Amino acid sequence: MPSLSEYLHHGSALAAKSLLLALTLGATLAAQAAPTISRLTPPSNPRLATATTLARFLPGQKFDLQATVQPSAGTRITRVRFAVDDQPVADLQHDGSATDQFGGETSLVKNGLVKDLAGGTVVASLRAYANSQPGLHWLSVTATDSRGDTSTRQGSFEVVPIQTGQGQVAKNIIILLGDGMGASHRTAARIMAKGYLQGMTQDRLAMDKFPVTGMVMTSSLNSIVTDSAPGMASYVNGNKAANNQEGVFPDDTVSAFDNPRIEYLSEYLHRLRGSALGLVTTSDVFDATPAANAVHTASRGMGTGIVDQYLDDRHLTGLKVLMGGGRKWFLPNPGSADKRQAVNGSQRRDASDYTLPPDLVAGWKASPGKLDSGRDLIADFQAAGFAYASDRAVLDRLGTPDKLLGLFAYSNMNVAFDKINGRRGKSSVVADYGFPDQPMLDEMTASALKVLAKDNAKGFVLMVEGASIDKQSHLMDTDRWLLETLEFDRAVELARDFATTHPDTLVIVTADHECAGAAIIGSATVSEAVLRSRAATTAEMRDKVVGVYEAARFPEYTMLADGYPASTDIDRKMLIGYGANADRYEAWVSNPQPTRDEQQPFADQAPLNSYPASPAQRNNTTGYLVTGQVPGSQAAHTATDVPLSAFGRGAMLFTGLYDNTDVFFKLGQVLLGGVK
Amino acid sequence: MPAVVAIAALLVCPLVLAHGGQATLGAPTVLAVSGVLPAPPAGVAELRFNEMFQRPVGPKGLEPSARLLALDGLLVRLVGYMASAESPTPGRLILSPLPIALSDEDEPLADDLPAQAIFVHLSGPAAAHTLPNYSGLIQLQGRLSVGASEEPDGHLSSVRLMLDEQASQQLLPPASPRRLR
Repeated sequence: MPSLSEYLHHGSALAAKSLLLALTLGATLAAQAAPTISRLTPPSNPRLATATTLARFLPGQKFDLQATVQPSAGTRITRVRFAVDDQPVADLQHDGSATDQFGGETSLVKNGLVKDLAGGTVVASLRAYANSQPGLHWLSVTATDSRGDTSTRQGSFEVVPIQTGQGQVAKNIIILLGDGMGASHRTAARIMAKGYLQGMTQDRLAMDKFPVTGMVMTSSLNSIVTDSAPGMASYVNGNKAANNQEGVFPDDTVSAFDNPRIEYLSEYLHRLRGSALGLVTTSDVFDATPAANAVHTASRGMGTGIVDQYLDDRHLTGLKVLMGGGRKWFLPNPGSADKRQAVNGSQRRDASDYTLPPDLVAGWKASPGKLDSGRDLIADFQAAGFAYASDRAVLDRLGTPDKLLGLFAYSNMNVAFDKINGRRGKSSVVADYGFPDQPMLDEMTASALKVLAKDNAKGFVLMVEGASIDKQSHLMDTDRWLLETLEFDRAVELARDFATTHPDTLVIVTADHECAGAAIIGSATVSEAVLRSRAATTAEMRDKVVGVYEAARFPEYTMLADGYPASTDIDRKMLIGYGANADRYEAWVSNPQPTRDEQQPFADQAPLNSYPASPAQRNNTTGYLVTGQVPGSQAAHTATDVPLSAFGRGAMLFTGLYDNTDVFFKLGQVLLGGVK
Repeated sequence: MPAVVAIAALLVCPLVLAHGGQATLGAPTVLAVSGVLPAPPAGVAELRFNEMFQRPVGPKGLEPSARLLALDGLLVRLVGYMASAESPTPGRLILSPLPIALSDEDEPLADDLPAQAIFVHLSGPAAAHTLPNYSGLIQLQGRLSVGASEEPDGHLSSVRLMLDEQASQQLLPPASPRRLR
């Protein structure tokens, strides 16, 4: 039956609500004195009997049990017992003190709790529980107080069975994640790169050529609209998570790193058969998508602790490859020790670092952690056997080391649009950032695959992220997210080639969510020159420019040998609208980053020859106002389903419409039981 | 008569239409840069973004130049772009060599801020104010502060520009023109 405590709050409202509840539900309730169990983890659907089970796990997949127990006024909690299918699994006795209690993988935590809980509240945990019996299981927690009154709360979870003997299993999994990449993003990239004539695309993107495509529902534990943290985590641990949280369920403690964990695919496979993990991204490596494959945290912003755990817990994940931006987290912050040293750009802070409580360490065999902003993390990675690449030239020179760390930018890497224009000699933006030789995502993927394929008896999980499809969609920078998608597709092609020569590999291409409600609304009805001469009014720049229906015809981009368009500013260019837009001024031209404008008479004179030049902004490139549907300055994520394409062993499992958590169990089936 | 006032208001307080939803303004005239600047006043050194650190950045962290370290604690003039912020910190702005938009959307610390960006600290009564997002090149003059320091927005700054009260006051948006009755 539904838990009574669901409806009860702590403190002063308790008495009134208990009475009301007793009247309305006819439930028997010991006088107002019973403890309140305000949270039971893993969370269950409140409509237990007929609803979809929320928490699901592969056989033997580890997860934490936890309960928040609040005493009623004038009592204290004396005992908390967990049981699964009526079998006791933990029996925790409160010692009457105000000190946190730890015993092996159990704990009773009394301090560091969130506000607005009753005095004497405890958070009781059993860490790293696992169950191998397929089917539905009943979870219960019983709390006893000093008056001898008890409360029980029930939940459920399911262990999803693996069908054995179905065929050959996959040894390697490659997950290519286009952050924010919905169907519109894919379609628009195809139109640009391949060209349509007479209604037919003249060729397809690599991801279009995958034999199987399904649709994925992406909502999070606490919203129809997710973010990248649960958007990634759900794929690789089979459970919903709250926005901003990675590999954990919500809890009632303030600490971000002590939340109840769910074992990741990388950890589970590494534990089962010693597999390796590779993470490749164009974002700062601490960002949610890479982190939600390997690190457990309630706060995606805890950069120092996240990057430390990549290294410290490599014995759990099998991490062998980590590449992207985010060098700022790996530089020592020695405090005020040495002025020269202290100006290295480090962002390491104790406030975003990690230490773990003893029950997590004991249960998960995780590293306890340390507040060490002065840590030289690059040196520590190297000492652990990782070869270090600081730019593309070094990456090429390294060849095929056993383990690889690549940090190519201070924060996010520069986007494909700017990297390619830099390589073509048309833009200095990448050089202006100070990291002129950044690899493309496909170049990083090629290196990652070489390293992971070396001595690969145990298999690997590789996650490759096209991170700035999302970031540029937030900025509604059409040209930049389009080229991000093309860069991403080049990495997809490499993954497909790998799976072709290594048939025990499954490749899936997907997105964590859609970003910005991107829509292909048509094409410009005018040439680029005419477009740039238009005044920035709705009449001039919208009504006389936007060609809808048959006026859109077929925009034609010229692709160069490097795989990218010669220019996105073509005559009769494709036009993109945004359904989740913030206010913006739309001029339909690519946003210039400042370049040294040779036309300016003083451009080569001091001091301006060392300054960034003014952007080439004439009034008519600032565009006409498009009022946003969302507040703030950037477009938002949407709840739209996203396409997932699959290639290789077990791809046939990925047809249909399914939840992002379902993907994890399909991966489990492919890896452990095979697919007919 | 109202039309004349409206036009006059536009001249005094130019509104630059720019990408993004937040109202952006042209910087106060005394700070906006549109051409060659005269030499800085005596006692104020000219410092450029490309002089602060070794460029390109080496394999590890930023390496401060001898010039940057020598100017620590001294008065400098800098030209750059104000990084536009969705939730700016009162009394602070970030000066960047490239125009950048910072946002609370998704993950603020996975940003596109160049490593050489510096944090500008206002002082006096102006420090209580949250600045609007000014577009375009601006010049700022203040005392350089070199060394790692924690900022209220969660960043660790390596280099700061400390503005005196008068310079801070200049950053506040001009008062709206008085309406004629």
